[in-house]
Amino acid sequence: RYVRQLQRLQLLFSPTAADARGAREFVEEAAQDFARQHPDVVLYVSPHSGPGPAPVLRAEYLNGTVRDELIASKTSEEIAQLAIKLANQSGLDIIRIRKPFHTDNPSVQGQWHPLTNKPSILTVQGPRLQPQ
Amino acid sequence: PAMAARLLLRAARPLLAGTGRGAGLGTGLGTALSTAPSTAPSTVPSTAPSPEKKRWLRAYLELQRLQAPPQRRSEKPNWDYHAEIQAFSYRLQENFALDLLKTAFVNPCYIESEEARRRQLGLDKDAVALQLQDNSGLAERGLRFARAYLAQCFEGAYPELPAKGVEALVNFLTSQELVSYVAQNLSVQDLALCRDFPAPPDVLQRTFLAVIGALLESSGPERTGIFVRDFLIPQLIGKDLFEVWEVVNPMGLLLEELTKRNISAPEPRITRQLGVSTVLPVYFVGLYCDKKILAEGPGETLLAAEEEAARVALRKLYGYTENRRPWDYSKPKQGLAAEKAISSN
Repeated sequence: RYVRQLQRLQLLFSPTAADARGAREFVEEAAQDFARQHPDVVLYVSPHSGPGPAPVLRAEYLNGTVRDELIASKTSEEIAQLAIKLANQSGLDIIRIRKPFHTDNPSVQGQWHPLTNKPSILTVQGPRLQPQ
Repeated sequence: PAMAARLLLRAARPLLAGTGRGAGLGTGLGTALSTAPSTAPSTVPSTAPSPEKKRWLRAYLELQRLQAPPQRRSEKPNWDYHAEIQAFSYRLQENFALDLLKTAFVNPCYIESEEARRRQLGLDKDAVALQLQDNSGLAERGLRFARAYLAQCFEGAYPELPAKGVEALVNFLTSQELVSYVAQNLSVQDLALCRDFPAPPDVLQRTFLAVIGALLESSGPERTGIFVRDFLIPQLIGKDLFEVWEVVNPMGLLLEELTKRNISAPEPRITRQLGVSTVLPVYFVGLYCDKKILAEGPGETLLAAEEEAARVALRKLYGYTENRRPWDYSKPKQGLAAEKAISSN
């Protein structure tokens, strides 16, 4: 069955900073809808007062990866879309995929080896049998 | 000018919290603008020192942070146990009775360590005894159900497989490494309450089986059966029968199987051979019953090839070849529900 790989989202922002305005609007308007639509993701909202670090959306996945996304000077809709994107991702590292194809069954009829089409030693090769 | 400088400072301020908070805007202005953070946002932690500190001090504090012992997730900030447990039940798409689920995560070692701690702090007898029940009962019930259900599944899917083979498969699927691997990837290690961190595999196995037990109590045997099927049986993908089941004498086992089906004993013959006089010969030995081919297997020496051919023959007889039908994960029909409920314990 499908198990959403995103465990929790932590929204760390400051209540007075200018670039956290989108984060504050997200918390006021869209955060509850997001939490209702994704009941298997725990959403933590932690405002820290005073001048602090930049507002960040921290995503923790089931395999332990923690991903921080800057949400400074983003609008509320952009943050909502970002949250949905993080919710649909798995926690695997985002690296270059070497090939866009993969197969678990590389060979259907069996991989060729030097003895594939050679007849076995036991096959008797004699004069042609008379038709019955 | 002053406003613009302040906004510029805001944009260039670091991602890093902590001691940077105390640095005033005036004194931090020059240093912050000149030492803009160059680290990528996805890897920066929140408690690293700010660029206002000296470079060597930052390196030292970073080293201290990296060498600190790993902590449980429940001891880090932003943790709500009830919300996490609810999210856990939604994530697995199952309805759990939440109090049963909370009991399922409590391990006996946690209760002992908590009582010892309370006794050490000098509380009297009543306060020492915790009101929590541990998960051993649930774990035992979960284990029994899982074993019975898996044995039933395998007997249905591979009717030719003997009891020892079914037992080997069930033991593999309920073994410590596999169950603790499944539990870790389902975030059970964050929710489980146990004495040491990181939780040892037997604790994770017990907790996962207790979760299965809790599900059995809350939702009944059919849903628990579907749960066990969805999470434990995919671990068999890509595994060969004899990787899981150790068979010492495949030829003897094959002779037993053939006598049960009244087929004469197999006659091994060399079918193909390559490189006989070299260091790496390859022999293909075929097993013939009444001059009809049963199976063929490769090997380095004649004995190894014969054993491999016996294994291939056993796989064919038990129906556990690589090209068998994949497992059926579809929703069970309503009519089978009653049958499953009666036959499972």
